[in-house]
Amino acid sequence: MDKPILQLTDIRKSFLAVRALKGVSFDLTAGEVHALLGENGAGKSTLIKVITGAHQPDTGAIQVNGNIVEKLTPASAHKLGIAAIYQQPALFPDLSVAENIALSLEPPKTFRRIRWNARHDQARQLLDRVGAKIDPDAEVRSLSMPEQQLVEIAKALGTGARILIMDEPTASLTHTEVQLLLGVVRDLRTQGVGIIYISHRLEEIFQIADRVTVLRDGESVGTNPVSKINEASLIKLMVGREVASIYPPSETQPRDVVVSLKNLGCASSGVRGVSFDVRAGEIFGLAGLVGAGRTELARILFGITPADGGEISLNGKAIQIHSPREAVEHGIAYVPEDRRRHGVILEMSIAANMTMAIHPQFFPGAWLRFGKEEAFAQTYIRDLQIKAFGPEAPGGSLSGGNQQKVALARWLATKPKVLILDEPTQGVDVGAKSEIHKIIRRLAAQGLAVIMISSDLPEILGMSDRIGVMRGGTVTGILDGKTADPHSVMAAALGQTEGINA
Amino acid sequence: MNTDKHGWKRILLRHETILLFVLVVEWLLFYYFGTSMNRRGITVGFGTMDRQFDILRHSCEIGLLALALTPVILTGGIDLSIGSLLGLTAIVFGKLWHDAHLSIGMAAVCAVGVGALAGGLNATLITTLRIPALIVTLGTYSLFRGLAEAITHGSVTYTDFPASFLFLGQERWLGLPAQAWLFIVVAIATWLLVHRTTFGRSFRAIGFSPEGTRYAGISVERRLTMVYVLAGIVAALAAIIYTARLGQAKADAGTGYELFAITAVVLGGTSIFGGIGSVHGTLLGVAAIAVLKNGLACLPIVIRHNSAEELSGMMTGALLLLALCSSVLPKILSTWRSRRQSHLPQQTKIA
Repeated sequence: MDKPILQLTDIRKSFLAVRALKGVSFDLTAGEVHALLGENGAGKSTLIKVITGAHQPDTGAIQVNGNIVEKLTPASAHKLGIAAIYQQPALFPDLSVAENIALSLEPPKTFRRIRWNARHDQARQLLDRVGAKIDPDAEVRSLSMPEQQLVEIAKALGTGARILIMDEPTASLTHTEVQLLLGVVRDLRTQGVGIIYISHRLEEIFQIADRVTVLRDGESVGTNPVSKINEASLIKLMVGREVASIYPPSETQPRDVVVSLKNLGCASSGVRGVSFDVRAGEIFGLAGLVGAGRTELARILFGITPADGGEISLNGKAIQIHSPREAVEHGIAYVPEDRRRHGVILEMSIAANMTMAIHPQFFPGAWLRFGKEEAFAQTYIRDLQIKAFGPEAPGGSLSGGNQQKVALARWLATKPKVLILDEPTQGVDVGAKSEIHKIIRRLAAQGLAVIMISSDLPEILGMSDRIGVMRGGTVTGILDGKTADPHSVMAAALGQTEGINA
Repeated sequence: MNTDKHGWKRILLRHETILLFVLVVEWLLFYYFGTSMNRRGITVGFGTMDRQFDILRHSCEIGLLALALTPVILTGGIDLSIGSLLGLTAIVFGKLWHDAHLSIGMAAVCAVGVGALAGGLNATLITTLRIPALIVTLGTYSLFRGLAEAITHGSVTYTDFPASFLFLGQERWLGLPAQAWLFIVVAIATWLLVHRTTFGRSFRAIGFSPEGTRYAGISVERRLTMVYVLAGIVAALAAIIYTARLGQAKADAGTGYELFAITAVVLGGTSIFGGIGSVHGTLLGVAAIAVLKNGLACLPIVIRHNSAEELSGMMTGALLLLALCSSVLPKILSTWRSRRQSHLPQQTKIA
């Protein structure tokens, strides 16, 4: 192949203590589709943001068309012909197609004449290039999802994009729509555009890509021509590390079934037909890719988006959960994924955060008792080893891991029967992570039924007694935690039928 | 900087201290310039006990509304309708006594009931339809006033209340204006509610993060209903003492009071975005405005030009803006200082 139009060498990028990219090299030639693969959190998004200028790498060199680019900003990336389109088209729904395209092409001057005919013709031309039969005067709102994707591509081409990044463009498309989009990608390739293609759908990679690079834990673990690799070896590359033995071993024998779901669904959040049981003392891992419906399922169980079909039973009794308050009364606790928005109230003290879910029990007659509350918070601070100035420190002053422990303490204080943890160690440093794992183990040993959502595959494998894998809003497989391996979980999450013993 | 143990508490304390200082200075100035002897050698003007009690008497109604608004604003909400509700409940009270021949006590209970219902209406619209409080109460602001005018056909006022009732608004009891006792009771109750109960805690939580509060299993809808219903009840109490003070119930009672009340709450250090604030701050805010308004009317120059109304409006506005600046100023100063410091090394290099 000829000279690369984009070359990244040894890119490193850290966010505080988290090393997102640990020396990634990547190149792209004109007229090539180069697929980028990796688990959630492997560093794909960070790499994309480096290429589009949204993040500055700590070290490493970026070359575009053979020239070293000193400082890549979104504006200069745009000028160099780098464009990106994402899973969700970012168009203005109330403007016409032609106006949307014009917005990124015409000079941003305050006063100038709008040449409507020129706009229309330009949009027509660009849409023809992607082979889309879309009326340039149509409102974007009226277009289907793939049509909007095509408008995004036309917009990118209009800016003279030579390097096009497609970040999961097909995630929300149907099979026929995907084929249509892939056809456009092939056309663009023959026009000499270099395309970085990200998708979780392996079959697309084999249909469209020329080469594939796999990222894992912020490192590139190999770039291969697609013709020399198969699905099995790709999955192995994606997850191929050994599951570290840092996970505390399971000691308990699961007891009675605590919570049982039968055919549970909620149309508004896209969850359907979910059935599984969780026993006391068991950690039930929920694996799956982002958007598979795991958080949505948790939100149903916690009453934020109540179920509209199926059955939830608790200790053998069918229950209805319409609000978080009812969920708490039933003994269901949920430590949410977004701890800064939902897990703790940043402006309030650690102590106030910890007692928030137990107001009626802890403060009889609704009278606050500051001394009692402070002592209570102190025991949790000691117990969970929370690093803070004291019970009066505001939640926002803590690090991510310590905030997570405060959120956890709030829910332990409710003495729940079912504990749902959503990405309990996301964005948490290694030390706090293993402490949180130990706490989760201890809670299971005390007889809680734990449902743990995680995108961290080693965590799922290391912690779970059983693993439910979700895909497309439903549980597509339940694996035994002892026999499951990265390959079988990933295969189920990606929709490969082999290796699932449902 | 955010790791200060009591960062926001300290700022709050400072705000209230400043306000207390302003109040004292204000009072001393008016005492000095607004007090004089008349020809018979009797002290008149600001410095008399009568005038002081008058200030207290006149600030009870707006004070009650400001107290009712404090929890509402702590949740990040607003209630523009309480001034209109004061008018409506005053009319309901007057009509029930005058036309339906209910006893004063029964009429008062019914008026309070109407206030609670009206607050419930606000709360229902806000929580179930998820319309912003500002819009909902802007609507009920017109609705309640319109209802009051419809009941009276815009012209009827109810008068001739018995002396035993007028006592509440015009006489003294245990050394203080009678309605001041009601005000004191409501103030203590509101302070306890906001600062010493889990309800107050959850109002703040809602003000900081409604979603976060919901995720903690607290019913945001119930708490919001509580604050708006309480605001309605307190507005009805204000209507009763208003009627007792003036001896008449009329449809335009309390016009514009909601803005004075909001001014007092914000002046008292409560954040209009919710979460931060205190009841004692509100009380200081009410006092600062009341003293300003009455003190100006005692200044000889103001009396000569007959411009008390205009001046008090301007001065209240100026005071509010100053108070807001005083809470933002330290922040601006510190960013300015840090920016200067970040420039310093470069300058030394050049030198």
